[in-house]
Amino acid sequence: MIVHPSPAQTTLPDPPAMATPVGLQTYEGLAPLQALRARRWYAVMGVMILLTCGAIVFCLQFGAHTLTMAEIWSALTFSTAGTENVSSVIIWDIRFPRILMGLFVGASLAITGAALQALVRNPLADPYVLGISSGAALGATIGLALGLGAIVGGFGLPLFAFIGGGLSIVLVYGIAASQGQLPMHQLLLAGVIVNAVCSALMMFATSILNPASLYRVVLWLMGTLSAPSIPMLMGIGVCLLIAIVLLLRESQALNLLAVGEDAARSLGVDSDRVQRTVFLVSAVLTGAVVSVSGMIGFVGMVVPHLVRILCGADHRLLLPASALGGGILLMVADTAARTVVAPAEIPVGVITALIGGPFFIYLLMTRKYRFFA
Amino acid sequence: MNQPASVSAVVSPLPAFEVRQLSFRYDSVRGRSSSDRSACVINGMEFTVRQGEIVGVIGPNGSGKSSLLKLLARLVRPQEGTIRLFGDELGSLTRESISRQVAYMPQDLSFDFPFSVLDMVLMGRFPYRRSGLWSFVGWERQEDFAVAEEAMAQTDVMHLANRMIATLSAGERQRVLLARALAQAPRVLMLDEPTAHLDLNHQLDVCRILQRIHAQLQMTVLLVSHDINLASQYCDRILIMKQGAVVCIGPPQEVIHPRVLTEVYGCQVLVDAHLDTGLPRVSLPSQESRRAGAVSAKS
Repeated sequence: MIVHPSPAQTTLPDPPAMATPVGLQTYEGLAPLQALRARRWYAVMGVMILLTCGAIVFCLQFGAHTLTMAEIWSALTFSTAGTENVSSVIIWDIRFPRILMGLFVGASLAITGAALQALVRNPLADPYVLGISSGAALGATIGLALGLGAIVGGFGLPLFAFIGGGLSIVLVYGIAASQGQLPMHQLLLAGVIVNAVCSALMMFATSILNPASLYRVVLWLMGTLSAPSIPMLMGIGVCLLIAIVLLLRESQALNLLAVGEDAARSLGVDSDRVQRTVFLVSAVLTGAVVSVSGMIGFVGMVVPHLVRILCGADHRLLLPASALGGGILLMVADTAARTVVAPAEIPVGVITALIGGPFFIYLLMTRKYRFFA
Repeated sequence: MNQPASVSAVVSPLPAFEVRQLSFRYDSVRGRSSSDRSACVINGMEFTVRQGEIVGVIGPNGSGKSSLLKLLARLVRPQEGTIRLFGDELGSLTRESISRQVAYMPQDLSFDFPFSVLDMVLMGRFPYRRSGLWSFVGWERQEDFAVAEEAMAQTDVMHLANRMIATLSAGERQRVLLARALAQAPRVLMLDEPTAHLDLNHQLDVCRILQRIHAQLQMTVLLVSHDINLASQYCDRILIMKQGAVVCIGPPQEVIHPRVLTEVYGCQVLVDAHLDTGLPRVSLPSQESRRAGAVSAKS
């Protein structure tokens, strides 16, 4: 048991004169901050959940055919259930599954990115940048090329994607950490190399495909959320839920690791276990995401950044807030993808890359994201 | 072991560290047979750190100073030898129990992530986290805040509590890291180059805080430093290392000796008395006398 300090114990001696004046010394205590921290978590999560709901309604509205709020309302409240109402069909059969898929995929990418960034102490890490996505895509392409996509009860493709993603994360980490440290440029370079090799192999794999499946594979690789099936949604939703629980368990450990591995280990963080957890979760989630939606880049890097700027780096808040933020970003990006050139569609991966690429360059050139008080 | 939730060391008659026959080499240094002694980073070290003293570890680059701290914090395991922490063999203690007794402040911390000063200090409470279904996220409790408050007051960073760590000066950052180490409520504080890259003012700040902690909390402090003069001024005893072995350990007046330093660092040095304290002070001789000594200087 921990003994509560008596008031006598916490009475501090006057601070001795410092060598330098350190500004106004106010010993008002941490009590107000402590209350603020507790409230901040609920406030941020509350706002994020409201924003997510708002984004869902907003995205339901747009598409090849724009719906009015009244039509959405009547569909959502099932007041037209049973009747062959067009807007109800559009919402429940087409848009809602797709929006839900956007939410799950975006959340998976963002939470993976946030956890990887802490683990490798590099705010630029992301499953796409580190080559996990392309590893997973290579695995899935090989599975398709070999005609093994339908094995294991239809989960052959995610399985291949998971193996590919897992191998590439181990490879990238192995290359970058070979000197015992994890320098930022080395990690990014390792990701670039793995990306390049995987792309080359993917091109080879697609070159031996027959034209019909080639078109499907190319479209899928560009990143698209169209036509998700219910088992797909269930599968990725369950993966995401387990991942959130596993990562939240390690969130304080991730805070410590983000500052320094030796220091974290001296404080009792089992860095090997955290590393295994994050790598496994990244490989599984990225495998699942890539096999259903192809290569959607930069969501995992951009979203945790924005969330950190708004509410700090504490991963106990950052991880769930990033998950919701990633969901919002991808839902909105996908809505843009299916409305901008309607009735045709832009692959959503193209849109996220067009947002994420310049953002990445901006972060590389200015290190402004470090400074805000 | 129960420890009160406050930043004060528990007094014990046993030595803080008792190191016997300690040898260590990194696994990555392969290709040499294990009998090859030069492969060892730490090579048969023996010394004792008494409860409540400040010990400074000095020695040339690559002499194994940082490795020694890592061994004492159980970040790496020695191949041979024993380390006793207050009488208990380090290998027999749980990670949690070591973390509650030994705070280790390394040099290479990253400030790329926008943690606030309070976030940073509260991380020191990690060894005291609860385990259980509803506490799996690891929120801090009331007493964690109380200890953090006390630690921050000790190092004069209370007014910075809400600032982002990246916006602080190097000296302020070092004080925050000290507060984080104190929030661990340790019995031993181990610091790797606590004054590196600090200007004189901030060096003085850090040293005064260390002395204050030492005096008020009877904390045992073990610090690695390149600054021999600083170690001489503030340490009770100095351990001089060369090639992973103890050259000598003792009060600054005894071990800071020109012959010892010349042998250890391989260059001529001048040792005189500090104007205020009379403790030994080291300086490099002029170019002429170095040439006369025909020993190449190496910093």
